[in-house]
Amino acid sequence: MEFGPIWRAARRNKTGPVLIAVQIALTLAVVVNAVFIIQQRIEKITRDNGMDVDNILSVNSAVIGQDFKAELGVREDLRALRTIPGVIAVSASQHVPLSGSGWGTEFAASPESGAPRVNGVQYMMTTDAIQTLGVELVAGREFAEEDMVYAENFSDPQPSLIITQAYADELFPDGDALGQPLYDGLGRPSTIIGIVRRMHGAWVGWDKLSHVALLPRVMPSNSTHYLIRTEPGLVNQTLAQVEAALFGVNDQRVLQELRPMTETKDRSYQGDRGMAVLLGVVTLLMVSVTGVGIIGLASFAVRQRFKQIGTRRAVGARRRDILRYFLLENWMITTAGVVLGTLAALGINYWLMTAYDLERLDPLLLPVGILVIWALGLLAVAGPARRAAGISPAIATRTI
Amino acid sequence: MLEMHSVSKVYRTDTVETHALRDFSLQVEEGEFVAVTGPSGSGKTTFLNIAGLLEELSDGAYHLDGEEIGSLGDDARSRIRNEKIGFIFQSFNLIPDLDVFDNVDVPLRYRGFNAAERSRRIDESLERVGLTSRRRHLPSQLSGGQQQRVAIARALAGAPRFLLADEPTGNLDSEMAEAVLGLLNEINAAGTTIVMVTHDPDLARRVPRNVHVLDGRLQAPAQPEAPPIGAPNGLGAAAMSL
Repeated sequence: MEFGPIWRAARRNKTGPVLIAVQIALTLAVVVNAVFIIQQRIEKITRDNGMDVDNILSVNSAVIGQDFKAELGVREDLRALRTIPGVIAVSASQHVPLSGSGWGTEFAASPESGAPRVNGVQYMMTTDAIQTLGVELVAGREFAEEDMVYAENFSDPQPSLIITQAYADELFPDGDALGQPLYDGLGRPSTIIGIVRRMHGAWVGWDKLSHVALLPRVMPSNSTHYLIRTEPGLVNQTLAQVEAALFGVNDQRVLQELRPMTETKDRSYQGDRGMAVLLGVVTLLMVSVTGVGIIGLASFAVRQRFKQIGTRRAVGARRRDILRYFLLENWMITTAGVVLGTLAALGINYWLMTAYDLERLDPLLLPVGILVIWALGLLAVAGPARRAAGISPAIATRTI
Repeated sequence: MLEMHSVSKVYRTDTVETHALRDFSLQVEEGEFVAVTGPSGSGKTTFLNIAGLLEELSDGAYHLDGEEIGSLGDDARSRIRNEKIGFIFQSFNLIPDLDVFDNVDVPLRYRGFNAAERSRRIDESLERVGLTSRRRHLPSQLSGGQQQRVAIARALAGAPRFLLADEPTGNLDSEMAEAVLGLLNEINAAGTTIVMVTHDPDLARRVPRNVHVLDGRLQAPAQPEAPPIGAPNGLGAAAMSL
């Protein structure tokens, strides 16, 4: 192998190789961290939210008029929605999960004023909430009709609730949350009658996203959301029948935000998806520009050394010797870039960890990035190297 | 050593067919020093390319050191170039980014010698051409004559039996040309067969055997009008003074 001569020659004519090595280093450093962020965003978007999002749709109904009785109106609407073919379960809710809109709350495990309070989000829903959301009940029971509170005032007591396992674990680190009372901001107790394995709340970027409380309660409001869970694959078909069902009950209302829950979720993760796409495009561009740079440098080197290659062939180099020379030269430049890039990638990750609370780089990502850059280098130089290997040794005797 | 029988070389494009060599026959014995002369476009460089296995012939037969060349593949031709033939080019063809040592090293690496053997051969070659002290100089730091001596050292390092020189003094002034010719004579005197292509009849006359090429054909043999210059020792000394 011609490591020595290639290294010494590169040192004497270093502008091109240094620029490419720096470009490779930057590409590796940026791409590895970008891919890491993309990976995290994808994990965030695709993480288990505990609900049967694909088969749920939601609609907001705002009844016009002062004589609307929430209890009666909601009961009639629910009854009408249940008659739509393919509907499994229906529940009213004051907000739609994953929508970016919710009712923040905080509960404590003790009535004492100094007791630690844990943030979360609450959804006031009707019976069938568990079945409608498609969440898994791991302890206790679903709401029964006798649990329902049709509140006249915001301050009316709330005797029972269901919370998520994550919320229960935070409130009761020793376990055994079922049956325990929780105390809201006004010190009113609510007994935990059920625990669900997982459910995500309103704000997808919030670190308390999994702290959810479901309350069997209907507020005295003209505006209500309905969550409707259908047989698999029937969401769109059901969407078309919701308006008729609700207007059949009462046509003095405004229906809005009628949409599949997948759309609601997509809207909430739009920023994450946009960031992933943007970083993906940047990654592709950087990799492409680096690849083109390597091709350019190698092509220039071949053109510049046309006679030199002919001379090497004349004094005994086989085609594969020339091919190997260019591949080796490029590999050495790439490797120099990879070494620099590895340090830069770790440096950028450390900065992101300290400045933006990003996690430590996936230990597999850097080796994979290095292999990809090496492969890119070899791929990019393959064409020019093959052209070089095809140069005739007779070039050596040409005077120009 | 070198036997060509009825060799022809035709270059073809879509519209033009050029006969660079026609029915070309030549025999060079082991240890000979032959000058191939002819005007520009006569076919002497084509002859050199075919003799040096840089190009394939179109027709005829070519034996080098008893081996039929026409049927050999590219790798085998490369091996023969590397082991049996040394090349000296008009414009030296040194690699500008490599120093003298690494330039002489180029063919030895393709030969597969280990580092110690290569180093020994490079030192010997550079000593033979009087450039030991310049081993870490770049070509750009040397005179034309010195560069040609580096090229000769590169050609000699593999101990070839056959040296092909393409206008070796073409880019040198008369004093340096004289020294290079002296060095070639010295190498020939040591047993290496040399074929030198030149368009300079004065230079050719100082070589023991001349052949003349015209329109791709070998002309009637000509004898040198002047004896080859000096004794090997004297020529070596001349080379050192370049």
